Amino acid sequence: MAQEHIALLLDDACLTVDELAVSCSVSREWVIEHVQAGVLPAESGADPAQWSFTGRDLLRTRRLFDLERSFDANPELAGLVTDLLDEMERLRVRLRRAGLPPD
Amino acid sequence: MEFKDYYQILGVARDAPADDIKKAYRRLARKYHPDVSKEPDAERKMKELNEANAVLSDPEKRAAYDNVGQSFHAGQEFRPPPNWDAGFEFSDRGFSGAESADFSDFFSELFGSRMGRGSPREHGHFRSRGEDHHAKVLLDLQDAYHGASRTLTLRTPQTDARGHVKLSERALDVRIPKGIHEGQLIRLTGQGSPGHGGGQSGDLYLEVHFKPHTRYRAEGRDVYATLPIAPWEAALGASVKAPVPDGAVEVRIPEGSQSGRKLRLKGRGIPGSTPGDLYLVLEIVLPPASNPKARELYQAMERELNFDPRRGLGA
Repeated sequence: MAQEHIALLLDDACLTVDELAVSCSVSREWVIEHVQAGVLPAESGADPAQWSFTGRDLLRTRRLFDLERSFDANPELAGLVTDLLDEMERLRVRLRRAGLPPD
Repeated sequence: MEFKDYYQILGVARDAPADDIKKAYRRLARKYHPDVSKEPDAERKMKELNEANAVLSDPEKRAAYDNVGQSFHAGQEFRPPPNWDAGFEFSDRGFSGAESADFSDFFSELFGSRMGRGSPREHGHFRSRGEDHHAKVLLDLQDAYHGASRTLTLRTPQTDARGHVKLSERALDVRIPKGIHEGQLIRLTGQGSPGHGGGQSGDLYLEVHFKPHTRYRAEGRDVYATLPIAPWEAALGASVKAPVPDGAVEVRIPEGSQSGRKLRLKGRGIPGSTPGDLYLVLEIVLPPASNPKARELYQAMERELNFDPRRGLGA
């Protein structure tokens, strides 16, 4: 039988700035710039070595990068679109909860 | 393998200037962006657009593609001629090797040997970590309570003995521990791309979503389940057995309950260091008035109870 691999749940803040950068194929500087621009959430403290990120932050980072690349968007605009997409998803969940169709 | 006409995919002429290609890509990327598009098949279209853009927005890849593609049209059977790329140097711009796993076999055949890692002579003596991969996985809500084993099929770039990269499918048996919730990420260490020059392998990240269920729905770690009850159980109170995601539980329905009332079972939601709660949402189901006896009982209630649910609504 093939070996079974154990998956780790990424729950709370658990990724370093370097791990986040590697997993999203962006540079460390890219992450720092986006934290400083306020579009990625930062832990307290100015030292990037002390920052930690959640699994949700990782998904946000990938979405930001994708928007910036596809549309040559600046970080603030990509951040705004990402916030709107999150808000849309939150409202879709509420629609589902109320038993209403998405459209 | 079918020839892919990237110009046709982006809807531009073969001699379109770079600026027109960029505009066409952005226009279509907005139309088919999977987060907002209402077009059927938006996700597949978006991958196709990304692939066409990865080639046509890169002057080196575009030139090589034009060179090999001038005698082919869309859908035609295609085999790249030997040494078709002689004289071209590709650099990796913008799209990682992990992303190119989403691209077609046609792309992989033409550019696969360079995506994400450069040519062996550039990187041969470097030690570097393999890339991380990302995928989504659909689970049942019950899996969050018990954990689950799944066999995932993944497309990953693999390097052959000549340094060429081909997409290959591989099966991976994964044990997902209990306590997972909607939208959460899980990591499989070392299951991304292999490293180079003895470097560490990348990781595989899986984003978890639950399949829709008729009775259960999760919000974070809290779980909501509908509990159908009879009118007399609601009116008089009762102890009933309620099916829940991890089995069944005996609950007390308080006297005078209405539809929509929530009963909270603390700590019976998705397990974790702080487990969620389970909410049973009461739903009163009327017995059908489908025989004379049942009709007689409803008529007796109408006569005896003096009940008007619209009292006070001003009608």
